[in-house]
Amino acid sequence: MNVIEVDHLTKYYGKARGIIDVSFQVEAGEIFGFIGPNGAGKSTTIRLLLSLIYPTSGSAKIFGRDCIKYGPALRQEIGYLPSEVFYYEHMKVIDLLKYSASFYKKDCTQRLHELAEIMELNLNRRIEDLSYGNKKKVGIVQGLLHSPRLLFLDEPTAGLDPLIQRKFFNLIREENQRGVTVFFSSHILGEVQRLCNRVGIIKEGRIIEISDIRTLQQNNYKKVRIAANGIDVADFNIEGVSKLESNHDGVRFFFKGDINTIVRKISQIDLVDVSIEEPTLEEIFMHYYE
Amino acid sequence: MNIFLRELKANFKSLLVWGGIIILLIVIAMAKYSAYADNPQLLAVLDSMPPALLDAFNLKAFNLTTLSGFFGVMFTYFALMGGIAAAMWGSDIISKEERDKTVEFALTLPVTRNQVITSKALAALVNSIAFVLITWVASLAAASYYHPNIAFYNFLALEMQAMFVIELIFLAIGLLLGCAMKQYKRAGSTAVSIILATYFLSIISGMNKKLDLLKYFTPFKYFDAGKLFRTGHMDLTYLLLSAIIIVVAMAGAYLTYNRRDLYI
Repeated sequence: MNVIEVDHLTKYYGKARGIIDVSFQVEAGEIFGFIGPNGAGKSTTIRLLLSLIYPTSGSAKIFGRDCIKYGPALRQEIGYLPSEVFYYEHMKVIDLLKYSASFYKKDCTQRLHELAEIMELNLNRRIEDLSYGNKKKVGIVQGLLHSPRLLFLDEPTAGLDPLIQRKFFNLIREENQRGVTVFFSSHILGEVQRLCNRVGIIKEGRIIEISDIRTLQQNNYKKVRIAANGIDVADFNIEGVSKLESNHDGVRFFFKGDINTIVRKISQIDLVDVSIEEPTLEEIFMHYYE
Repeated sequence: MNIFLRELKANFKSLLVWGGIIILLIVIAMAKYSAYADNPQLLAVLDSMPPALLDAFNLKAFNLTTLSGFFGVMFTYFALMGGIAAAMWGSDIISKEERDKTVEFALTLPVTRNQVITSKALAALVNSIAFVLITWVASLAAASYYHPNIAFYNFLALEMQAMFVIELIFLAIGLLLGCAMKQYKRAGSTAVSIILATYFLSIISGMNKKLDLLKYFTPFKYFDAGKLFRTGHMDLTYLLLSAIIIVVAMAGAYLTYNRRDLYI
């Protein structure tokens, strides 16, 4: 079953591009990574799904129901952590969280305190006195306190120190194991790689790739490094090779295609050393953004 | 209900400030009145002033040396204060979510935009009612020193009702501006500009008979204190006109807020 179904969603802000013809599905129980640099349209997509803004054309469904028409009811089951959190400055953290909890049709008190403890959040301080990172912690507790079935995380780790980041990732994994679907938007590929099952890559408002993280890494590209004496760079300027670089003792490049072609090529050389490995997501990503 | 209560709490300070200002205004005014009270010389001074000026400040209709006359002149300030306060509350209560960027929290809760407007409008309404009551009580307290007659109490009650209607009109307009304006930062200042513009329109329309038609465009002319004093009730036509403005503005507020993108 698909928890999110986005169908040819387009959003223009006046003449400025938001997103163009975006379609994808997120299945129940998966952690879907949504990758792109700043301004690519990640937040726009999330805000459209939360019906904060309305699409120019296209539509989207959450839990099989239209995200605008049934928005308020759907949001009972949705948790959202924006990239920058803003709350009512004069409220105490506990009052803000209780206020948020009061909108959900279940008792969130226990979960609220559990989460605050995990995140090491001081509940008695005022929002205005909190640092950026601490506000983010409030955001995490607020987004999770009603045990939502779907989570939108928009660049969630910005401002969190590494220790809290790890706790946060564990929390998200636990939630996911309980069956929560997670939509994880980020420009930090390492964290997406660690957490996500599938990724969508968005560039200048358009989806340019949706694929399994493994397939993205395995099937497409190999990172090849060859050390040899008297190697001729031009020899490797063949189809499927990209980012060909050479230095004094060898060459390195990315290869996409039949792996045998490149292995045969390498076997003709008197090697000092060779390595063929899977590129990091970072490297794949850079490739898409060339 | 939770939005309503939170907004009441958040706006309480503002109510206290406005309440303080109106009380101060009444205290200062009453200090001046002590010089006018039963002082025939003042009438002579007023008679020597240009009629247009007297019209502008509504001084012609009233005998300033009586308590009712004095409060008749005061009504202009009550109406102006009530209008400005209500318009600010109305526009601010909606637009502040975008200004303070809390909209991404407040509007991603499981609430409809209609619920948000209704709760906030009710909270601003409570403030407006409280503001009239503060004005009323402060006026009664201040006037009690002069042992006013029953006619004064009735006139004051009528003035307060008229002030409340003016508040409602500008509250609705403020809410409409908060809901509809793309430049949410300017919603408050636009609301106040509209009030000042309509207020000066009311002055201009009173100065010249040819400009009489303008009176329909300024709520400050709907409930002229002089007329209230003479007739003892609010004009039904203007009450109806007020109701239409309020309904149209509120409908516009709901419609535009539901349709537009929220700015983040």
